[in-house]
Amino acid sequence: MSTNYEYVPEPKLIKGDHTFGSITDLIAKTPLSSTPPLWYLAFAVANLLLIVLLGAVGYLIWDGIGIWGLNNPAGWGWAIINFVWWVGIGHAGTLISAILFLFRQGWRTAINRFAEAMTIFAVMCAGLFPAIHVGRIWVIYWVFPIPNQMGAWPNFSSPLLWDVFAVSTYFTVSLLFWYVGLVPDFATLRDKAKSKAAKISYGIAALGWTGSFRNWWNYEKAYMILAGLATPLVLSVHTIVSFDFAVSLIPGWHSTIFPPYFVAGAIYSGFAMVLTLMIIARKIYGIEDIMNIDIMEKMNLVMMVTGNLVAFAYLCEGFIAWYSGYIYEQGIFWLYVVGPYAWGFWILMFCNVITPQFLWSKSIRRNVTLTFIISIIVNIGMWFERFMISVASLSTDFMPSSWDYFSPTFWDIIIYIGTFGLFFTFFLLFLRFLPMVAIAEVKGVMPQADPHNYDEHTNEFIEAKAEPALAQQQKLEQKNQQV
Amino acid sequence: MSDEVKSSNYWKSLNELAQNEEYERFVEREFPEDATELKDGFSRRTFLRMMGASIALAGFAACRRPVQKILPYSKQPEEVIPGVPNYYASAMPFQDALTGIVIENHEGRPTKIEGNEMHPASGGSSSKFNQAAILGMYDPDRSRNVIKDGERSSYTNFQSFCQQHFGDTERNIAFISESNSSPTYNKLKDQALSQFPNAQWVTYEPFGEDNALEGTNMAFGQRLRTINHFDEADIIVALDDDFLNPAAHKNSVQNTKEFTERRDVETGEEISRLYAIESTFTVTGSNADNRLRIKSSELGLFIQALAAELGVAGASGGSNKFSGHKWIATIAEDLQNNRGRSVLTLGNEHKPELHAMVSAINASLGNTGSTVTYHQLPYIEDQNSREAFADIVNGINNEEIDTVVIVGGNPVFNAPADLNVGEALSKAEHVLHLSDYYDETSKIASWHINRSHFLESWGDGYSYTGARSIIQPQIEPLFSGKSEIEFLNTIITGEDAKGYDLVQETWQQNISGNFTNRWEQILHDGIADEDNFPEVTPSISSEFSGNIGQTESEGIEVVIRPDSKVFDGRYANNGWLQELPDPMTKITWDNVALMSPKTADKLGIEKAGLGVAEVEVITIDVNGTKVEIPAWVQPGHADDSITVTVGYGRKGLGRVAEAVGVDTYPLRTSESMLFATNVNISKAGRLYEIACTQDHSSMEGRSLLRHATLQEYRDNPDFSSYQEAYNAELPGQEWATEHDADAPLSIFDAIAGKDYPDYQPQWGMTIDLNSCIGCGTCTIACQAENNIPVIGKKEVSNGREMHWIRNDRYFVGDKENPKAMHQPVPCMHCELAPCEQVCPVAATTHSDDGMNQMTYNRCIGTRYCANNCPYKVRRFNFFNYSEEYLTDGGDDPEIIQMAMNPNVTVRFRGVMEKCTYCVQRVNRAKIQTQIETDGSMKPEDGTVQTACQQACPSDAIYFGDLTDPDSEVSKTKRNNRNYLLLEELNTRPRTSYMAKISNPNPALTQHSTNSNNEH
Repeated sequence: MSTNYEYVPEPKLIKGDHTFGSITDLIAKTPLSSTPPLWYLAFAVANLLLIVLLGAVGYLIWDGIGIWGLNNPAGWGWAIINFVWWVGIGHAGTLISAILFLFRQGWRTAINRFAEAMTIFAVMCAGLFPAIHVGRIWVIYWVFPIPNQMGAWPNFSSPLLWDVFAVSTYFTVSLLFWYVGLVPDFATLRDKAKSKAAKISYGIAALGWTGSFRNWWNYEKAYMILAGLATPLVLSVHTIVSFDFAVSLIPGWHSTIFPPYFVAGAIYSGFAMVLTLMIIARKIYGIEDIMNIDIMEKMNLVMMVTGNLVAFAYLCEGFIAWYSGYIYEQGIFWLYVVGPYAWGFWILMFCNVITPQFLWSKSIRRNVTLTFIISIIVNIGMWFERFMISVASLSTDFMPSSWDYFSPTFWDIIIYIGTFGLFFTFFLLFLRFLPMVAIAEVKGVMPQADPHNYDEHTNEFIEAKAEPALAQQQKLEQKNQQV
Repeated sequence: MSDEVKSSNYWKSLNELAQNEEYERFVEREFPEDATELKDGFSRRTFLRMMGASIALAGFAACRRPVQKILPYSKQPEEVIPGVPNYYASAMPFQDALTGIVIENHEGRPTKIEGNEMHPASGGSSSKFNQAAILGMYDPDRSRNVIKDGERSSYTNFQSFCQQHFGDTERNIAFISESNSSPTYNKLKDQALSQFPNAQWVTYEPFGEDNALEGTNMAFGQRLRTINHFDEADIIVALDDDFLNPAAHKNSVQNTKEFTERRDVETGEEISRLYAIESTFTVTGSNADNRLRIKSSELGLFIQALAAELGVAGASGGSNKFSGHKWIATIAEDLQNNRGRSVLTLGNEHKPELHAMVSAINASLGNTGSTVTYHQLPYIEDQNSREAFADIVNGINNEEIDTVVIVGGNPVFNAPADLNVGEALSKAEHVLHLSDYYDETSKIASWHINRSHFLESWGDGYSYTGARSIIQPQIEPLFSGKSEIEFLNTIITGEDAKGYDLVQETWQQNISGNFTNRWEQILHDGIADEDNFPEVTPSISSEFSGNIGQTESEGIEVVIRPDSKVFDGRYANNGWLQELPDPMTKITWDNVALMSPKTADKLGIEKAGLGVAEVEVITIDVNGTKVEIPAWVQPGHADDSITVTVGYGRKGLGRVAEAVGVDTYPLRTSESMLFATNVNISKAGRLYEIACTQDHSSMEGRSLLRHATLQEYRDNPDFSSYQEAYNAELPGQEWATEHDADAPLSIFDAIAGKDYPDYQPQWGMTIDLNSCIGCGTCTIACQAENNIPVIGKKEVSNGREMHWIRNDRYFVGDKENPKAMHQPVPCMHCELAPCEQVCPVAATTHSDDGMNQMTYNRCIGTRYCANNCPYKVRRFNFFNYSEEYLTDGGDDPEIIQMAMNPNVTVRFRGVMEKCTYCVQRVNRAKIQTQIETDGSMKPEDGTVQTACQQACPSDAIYFGDLTDPDSEVSKTKRNNRNYLLLEELNTRPRTSYMAKISNPNPALTQHSTNSNNEH
């Protein structure tokens, strides 16, 4: 056996010949320069969709849930599918920023800001649905434990109530986490901004950041604590979302595998969405050095692992249906495969089980076009997964006499499409006005940030590698010695 | 002041208040422009918006708010206590048969009809037509005016017309009447015939017992009513006779009661056996132990073969295709073994020759006088009514008749198509028509008189068996209508006498002793006497020949039947009935052409699948008359036979009936009253949407509806247990046995943490599937009791039906010739209710008396509870159904509101609802008991009846207190047939089922298995 170990250095996380200054310029130029026409176009489209969404939701509230395709067995349809889908997408951001932070994965810095923004907007889209899907939205606040003269209290054994707390907590922590990360960058923008309005706005957002040691010390602690807080939330939110289904007794819902399966699925879809957005953004904003192919490959690996976890969960469900001897579970599985929604099942199988297998190939993982296509297919697949769970299971459950078929109406579809308007309106604002990469953090993973100050091989001090302050100090010491 | 104005002041106050020109035009227009689209959820709203706008405008223009003042009684009327309903006995006429009813009144407003326990035709139960009658009365589309030649007139004008017109007693008058047993009416009829020597009188019913009467005339030489005593019969042979269905037999409630009584396995006696030989899969057929599918056109051959086998005198007739049939020998043997204890009964519309033959068979089996009795009807004309009707139409055509008086009925719509009554009537100089609606006949009539509903008018009559009752009004006529006796009286005397006086006059002649006491007693009881019509013991007439005059029929036949919901079309504008799923097809809001899967294959028709049913439309061509109607595949239908029902496809009748279904009467001619054989079927090449409430008919191997043959039950009395049904132990049973617990351990035991207090009753329900015939009366009774809105075809098609108790119909066995079984499913009131655990706002919770309750005010409408209900009994208000339903009247929104039960909340948009075990009835009884007993909350057993239970004609539903071991419901829970639906889920339902027992002839049963094949 050979004992000839060789140290394989990690490839550089930031490609190209960048200095701190060039990184700052690269990222800060987008929010500080004038708006490109393409952005206006995209923003107009997103706004149009947002208006469509608002109109459709207005009509929904005016006329009633009946404008959707829901019926007696299928009490939940696209609203819940979309809710779970968007929440799932919203998982990538916090996972990348919190869990990968705790695991000291330096590559996260290239995408964490971007992914967190996506998370927040996705959770906003998701949060819309539980609110509008209820029959009487004007009393939606009853789900909160607000003391009232009637002593009416929510039912704490209902998973929907857990959902309310889980999703709102997740949203709050994600938002805080995102904001805390933004503070040093706000200060950078404040300092670089030319216009007065920008200076004031960024200045307020920067909370008086001076870049002092104390600032940094507090920042790092806060960031660490929030990462610690966010980490369990990443796992808990989708676990609790899965309880909406798992705690019920409907065959196809009532399953203990749901929590891990949902979390894996959520990461899967979240990474896919980050990839989709990232592949477009890196091109348009010319930040391919930061969001580079190596990062994409790492994300593809996460997608491959979670995709296979999801596939394994499908397998387990099928096995348990057979092994349990529970005729209703067996029935619903059989109906998934050959029943009225079999088309949905096979789309799901193709998107979620077949597609990630391509990622075993390194060349596909590093191919931008193919990754982009796969990321979109995965998100279609994840939508169909939720479709099969909520609609197919409900439509054909215990009593065959009540079986029915759910078909979406125009309003189901338009509200779903409209949420993209909501998402992209916010996302485009984010891209335009905020630094889409965490400037301070990304500098931390550059070679310049590695304060060795000496050459690894000769152990001699090298000025070029040293931090300027240290170099100056060294010089001073040398001078003193000479003196 | 004329009557009309008076009524307007009271019932149309809103419009009259606003003397707005636009509004007046709106009122004048018989039906608002968009009203025809009422069935569609969206356009219905458009319509309402328009309607609302009109009202708002009207109100604005008049500067008055259209609000009625609510004032307390300054002098309280006697016997009216606000909040406490009064109950009055009356009777509901259906053709010439009365059913005793009791009507619940709230402050002078009838709201609910129940059966009258003292009345033989009811026995406390009712039919769906009885239940739906209340909505019929509050139908805002009923005719409100006297109309002369299309112009609004008044009854005073009509009265003066009568005085002048009928002053000439030599006129050639034709009276066309509905079938009516009323002594008062028949007295007036005699009076009319004597006053007008040139008058003719004919009774026409599109579906009556004319052929049966003609049949007895052939067999016995006199027209007699056949009364079958199903409670005495060991063997029943239903020959295309759906005697359990109110649309097919006017005494269905009593028939059902008698039939189920003899099916009771608890008595220990042998239960009766029902053979059904029929083309259409009927309710009766679904309750048969053995069922044979044959074409209706060949039923005569079957009867002939059976008669020959039984050696009935005069029935030699040679052999035919059924002579060697396995069924003939088997039934004949069974009948011979039960001589004098069997009933053969034939569908009304079959030819008189067949009725004569069936009478002869009954006679030869010794059934006459025991299980089958014959009775003289005092009021029928001694003529062949159908022929007489044709003669009269002929007379009108030849202009021999100048005045036609049509008392009720709608011959233009429902008379045989070849008579072309519409054209004939337009030749008559004067056509006087009394009817509920401004219908097809009214439009041709020179005088249309709006008829009062039986709940608004005085009347009397006989039950099917001959018990006399007085019909007493519950309310002043809403639209100032006139009853048939008042109408006739005006024609005869020219006076506008009160119905009350006319009825009293008749009864004064019939009552001996103190009239007032007796009169009040009859009104109180709802029945004068339980006498039967005089029974005769007829003998076969010498003129009877066994010739049935039928031959084998080639090709496809079309069978034309009355509809199970709208009957001959008279109930077409009743939303409850339109929305009631047909017992066998589960179709609402339409009529279809039913055919067997094999016939459908032949025609290239596909069965509808899950979801919105878009089915093929076929063209039925009978001798050049074409009707386009959607095709529906019905397993169990006879091959080469297509059934259509009548009464649909109305135009201008009312908002509910408008353009619902297809008018199939054009196919029905004097020659093809029941079936047409010379038929061409082709595809029309278009699709049509059908609103069906049950898309899937197989139990998928799940033991939801447990059933066994009598023999299997005897061999294994516990066959309905979970253990036996699945051949596996109930999950958790082992633990329960070890710990001596009633039920398996549940995670929710601790959360629910509920001990039901012992001072409270604990409510439970049992549904005996062996009694249930699947008629659907419970559904309408529940709808009437619980203010369940009618939502329209589009919404039903979307799968959003609102019925709190549904009737599941499963097909079991052979795909072409399955057995059909019925299972009513209300809320199970689970002790560990899955719905309660998942509601985020605790809007559905448990009461101390063990009911799963909905707090509508608290519900935010997440629908999670409905998702988590394994029985799928929860219903969601996807739109503001109640508002739409209750303002259906449009110009008179209060009218349907008056039909509402004031003790039941009307549900708002966005809330969930479901069966409450009629909590309003339960609480009323509890309060009453508390008052009477000084604190006990447990009403005596039988005090509380749920609406479904009370209405059920087969007494299949038991409800009561489970803490009382002697209560009826407790006894049923201990019965070995008792089982819980989806027991393995450990939801611990309070509603349970008793398994169905059938008694098939082993010689005819191919393989009696519990296998549930896919359909």
